[in-house]
Amino acid sequence: MIHFDADSLGEKVLRRFAGGTSRRGILARLGTALVAAPLFPVLPVSRANAAPAKPDRGPEAKTTFARGAQVTDNTKCDYWRYCAIDGALCTCCGGGVHTCPPGAEPSPVSWVGTCVNPEDGKSYLIAYRDCCGKSYCNKCNCDNADRETQIYVPQLNNDIIWCFGTQSMEYHCSTAVLVGAA
Amino acid sequence: MPESGESPGLLRSIALPHTPSRSPRAVTYEQGPATMTFAATKGHFFASATWVMALAGAFAVASMAPARAAPVASVEPEQSDVAQLTPPQPSWFFINRGFTENSSAIYDTVTGKLLGHVETPQLTDLALDPAGKFYYVSSTLWTKASRGTRQDYVSVFDSVDLKLQADIPMPGRLLVGGRLNNFVISPDGKFGYVYNMSPASSVNVIDLVARKFVKTVELPGCASMVAVPGVGVSALCSDGSLATLTLSGAKSQITRSEPFFSATDDPIFDNFQVDRAKNQIVMLSYTGKIYTATLGAKPVISAPFSLQEAAGVPAGSAAPNQVNWYPGGVQQMALHRATGQLYVLMHMGEFWSHKAGANEVWQLDLASHKVVKRMTVPGEPRMIAVTQEAAPHLVFAGEDETVYVYDLATGKQAWKLDHAGNGVITVAQAQ
Repeated sequence: MIHFDADSLGEKVLRRFAGGTSRRGILARLGTALVAAPLFPVLPVSRANAAPAKPDRGPEAKTTFARGAQVTDNTKCDYWRYCAIDGALCTCCGGGVHTCPPGAEPSPVSWVGTCVNPEDGKSYLIAYRDCCGKSYCNKCNCDNADRETQIYVPQLNNDIIWCFGTQSMEYHCSTAVLVGAA
Repeated sequence: MPESGESPGLLRSIALPHTPSRSPRAVTYEQGPATMTFAATKGHFFASATWVMALAGAFAVASMAPARAAPVASVEPEQSDVAQLTPPQPSWFFINRGFTENSSAIYDTVTGKLLGHVETPQLTDLALDPAGKFYYVSSTLWTKASRGTRQDYVSVFDSVDLKLQADIPMPGRLLVGGRLNNFVISPDGKFGYVYNMSPASSVNVIDLVARKFVKTVELPGCASMVAVPGVGVSALCSDGSLATLTLSGAKSQITRSEPFFSATDDPIFDNFQVDRAKNQIVMLSYTGKIYTATLGAKPVISAPFSLQEAAGVPAGSAAPNQVNWYPGGVQQMALHRATGQLYVLMHMGEFWSHKAGANEVWQLDLASHKVVKRMTVPGEPRMIAVTQEAAPHLVFAGEDETVYVYDLATGKQAWKLDHAGNGVITVAQAQ
């Protein structure tokens, strides 16, 4: 059996994002820009052809969600930390952004997202920990999907019920715990 | 109270939706301009009762009139009985009614009628016996609702009377909604394969003939399965390969194809389509790349092509800030196997909008790599299926639980089914 190690997973994810963005990303973009610049002037229509070889995960590469995100109301789906949340918001169910509602139990493991804080423009690693052991709250249901993948990459999939390691796997709601800078 | 001479007018007025359809339980069937509303809540009982009284009164007045036709309402004493079904028909679809309902509704696309329900509690997976005799439901429940002892099992229902035949206990399963390929049946109907994650990945092998759990086999780093005749299962993996798990011998074995996609940069949707006649799966990535794989001990994977380019628009990109047509939803595509036509839910958006509801359905001819038709669709559907009839029906559903049924011969809406469901749509095999 493979033992699930949340620390090691977190480290891997952090390293992956860190390794996949800055230096190589800049080089790739610079290279593409150098090649593409004489052919395509800097116009919106040319952008589709000036795509970097790898998806840009840096804070400057804002998704539709990130461009519309806000920092004041964590009971709304467009709150910045919810860029990859799926489910009922615990902030609407008697809990908070990192707090389970009374009687529920936080899952020790989770899926993760990388969300841009509109206040400082930086990316942060968010752990979407499910609160478990109570029936579905069914309030403020959101389904955002920045950098969300399929279940063969489970730690980046938000459809899975992440109540592993809790007394009951019954899903109640989801929190968005800030882990640190991405 | 209408006069007896107005009875044709009364009948017409009953057929029109005078009963307000504010109730969440009111079921509306529409075909063309005609609408029939059947109220199904206590709140509507009184409104309905008023109509019944009006109708009864009309008949009473009518019965006093001379030279009228004999009454058609039966007055014979009756016994309660129970309806039965035929085995699943190619015109049927099964729609999971969603996260908070505990059943999958069976509809006939030809009549638009609801025929019954298969019990599919929250987060269960439904699979059809290829011979049409049984419905299998892979389930998880606790002994005391949300607590107590967890129980994982496959329920077996007879397809004619929908009565429970057996529960087959097993060690566990992944709890996730909206997936077609976490519970699959071998084409001969003898084995069921249930995907498990604890969070280590594995497959439960179920003997459906003996109705017995056989074994759990590890499937590290992979998910979304297809049964491979004579071999076992194949599954998509996080290293971008297709793994094949050989279960036929005494010892199980995993082999992996060369990586052919990026699981994080341009993932292939879990809900790929299976074509048993061609022994192939058809896969779709977030950017709109179409791959096919011919199944076997060593699957053969085709070079991908762009769905968007097949429609004459620029290929989808994983780069940010690119507005284009992208595939999306939860059950993103449907394959009409006999004709090789793939129907894909498409929306305008940017990369990472892969769960968005659709504005159009694109019909791709897999043989010629051409999008032969683009249809504008209502309801921002996230689920799509196509019946395997010779004259197929397209079935799609959005978040509001309205299901639309389109006749593909005419391209027109055949039915609009309110409150039908918004979960996975399953269709019966062609006959």
